[in-house]
Amino acid sequence: MNKLLRYIFILSLALLAVLFSAAMLGAESVNILSLDEQTRSILFDIRLPRIFLAACVGASLAVAGAGLQALLRNPLAEPYLLGVSNGAALGTMVAFVFFGAFEWSRPVLAFAGAGLASVAVYQMARSRAGMSVERLVLSGVIVTTFLSSIIVMLTTVLDAARLRSFTFWLLGDLSQASTMGIYVSFAAAIIGTLIIASQARGLNLMMVGERDARDFGVEVGRVRLLVFGAASLVVGAAVAASGSVGYVGLIVPHIVRLTIGSDNRLVVPLSAIVGAMFVVLADTVARTAIAPRELPVGAITALIGAPLFIYLLRRN
Amino acid sequence: MIKEVQITIRLLILAAVFVAAACSGSTTSNAVLDVPGSQEAPTPVSSIRNFMDDLGRNIEVKGEVRRVVSLAPSVTELVFAAGGGDRLVGVTSFCDFPEQAKGIAKIGDTMNPNMETIVAMKPDMVFVSTASQVEAFTKTLEQNGILVYVTNPTTIDGVFYNIRQIADILGTTDKAEPMIAALRDRVGKVWTKTRPAEKVRVFVQISREPLFTIGRDSFLNEPLAKAGAISATVDVETAFPRLSKESALVLRPEAIILSDSEDNREPNEVFKDSPAVKNGRVYRIDADLISRPGPRLVDALEKLAAMLHPDLFKREE
Repeated sequence: MNKLLRYIFILSLALLAVLFSAAMLGAESVNILSLDEQTRSILFDIRLPRIFLAACVGASLAVAGAGLQALLRNPLAEPYLLGVSNGAALGTMVAFVFFGAFEWSRPVLAFAGAGLASVAVYQMARSRAGMSVERLVLSGVIVTTFLSSIIVMLTTVLDAARLRSFTFWLLGDLSQASTMGIYVSFAAAIIGTLIIASQARGLNLMMVGERDARDFGVEVGRVRLLVFGAASLVVGAAVAASGSVGYVGLIVPHIVRLTIGSDNRLVVPLSAIVGAMFVVLADTVARTAIAPRELPVGAITALIGAPLFIYLLRRN
Repeated sequence: MIKEVQITIRLLILAAVFVAAACSGSTTSNAVLDVPGSQEAPTPVSSIRNFMDDLGRNIEVKGEVRRVVSLAPSVTELVFAAGGGDRLVGVTSFCDFPEQAKGIAKIGDTMNPNMETIVAMKPDMVFVSTASQVEAFTKTLEQNGILVYVTNPTTIDGVFYNIRQIADILGTTDKAEPMIAALRDRVGKVWTKTRPAEKVRVFVQISREPLFTIGRDSFLNEPLAKAGAISATVDVETAFPRLSKESALVLRPEAIILSDSEDNREPNEVFKDSPAVKNGRVYRIDADLISRPGPRLVDALEKLAAMLHPDLFKREE
């Protein structure tokens, strides 16, 4: 495991560099050598909390992607494509519409929605012959579409101002985060990463085949429950705080695997760090590309993610 | 065999022609019943009138414009101000002003009007604002012989121009002129007072989260100037930009105007240290008044001027 520590060390340095550059870039320039009250406010009240949330959301989604890909033995498994993000989005929306002021309801219902969606997709995709790529992607698409239609129906009860706010959030928007959203995402990212990483050995064996894994003494049901549960937890918290930031869970684990191989003991923790970097970078683009105006971060990640998805689909 | 088929086809065509004739006959008679005056005093064919709308399109009006549809709340208000409210046969579901507008048949909303409903209403003209998806609709409507007039006023004078144009099209100029004169008078009264005053730097908050404001292309910039103010975001591109929080923080506006809606009753967090919040200069204004480029822009102007320059408008209260 020396290798893991070495990689974590190197990538953490890279993450720090990314975080620092992101903190220096923005719609307004910041001179850290002469901090007046206004720049301090920009840096500490607005920019840094947002960057920190971006890192938590990126880590969460990447770890969920890495876990689901290993568990389902499928390179295309991803919270967004599997409908897990949409499940969380629907949960958040229910909280948004029916429990407006009650802040805790957002992550809680998002988690419930993510959990239900992942169970639904899993049950639909499973057949006696195992789980094919086609069945999984198809189930994900169907669940996603179904949930989207409910979300769209629910939007009709919102007035214009709330609809605008909700639409931006739905596209993935880190600027609307509350302090509590940040704490919850941070806690979820840490807990989720630890749980999924702790199952890495089991996941490695399950990638070969569930029967073989059983023979090696892996409690397949337990691994499955823990990974699905942890994925739903991190996705729920991330979506409740920032909406559907798509494709992070797809791209990041692949980049990690292409660089260091497919040992989940390395892939899972390293995906968290690379995911954090990826979303922080994407959000920096969203914040600065058309400054002083803003883009939703989900649009940037999808812009990078969709072509990569097609590439991976063709390669398979 | 072939002959039989041919005969059948001929019979079918014949039947179709009869049905079509019967249908057109019945609509003609209906039209006569609806508008009894139309046959007695037919409009001369030579009366072709030309108008130019706000997109610079030439609109050729043959005969009278009796039935009109409005595709935006601001447009409905313009038509009423022009004295043509009784010509409206269809409006959007958001058209709630003046009171009579609520009783008019609905054709959907601005972004999503129901084409079939509109065509079935047989309007002579549809008035749209550029907020509607003009291109796609215009073609279909014009194919159905329905004229399309686009309004896009960017100043208060632009609103007056629209009212006069609509009145000229509908032949209600007599009713519109006193209305325009009264509105113009009210603008003049405000402008006389605010012209010498120092301009207040305001931030117009359209929505709190995410933070939307008005930019360079907004029709509110000119009314704000006449109210003795200047928008702090007048240089930002587009009409309703979404502003980054840090840029908003740096603006430090002297006053904040909130477009009143459930989620927009407070200034965004980033303004907590701004002069506007510290001096308690945060004002709410009915969202309809500042979101519809119509005659009530004059109401907005009066309200804004009184809020921003209370000392100048004291006597009237």
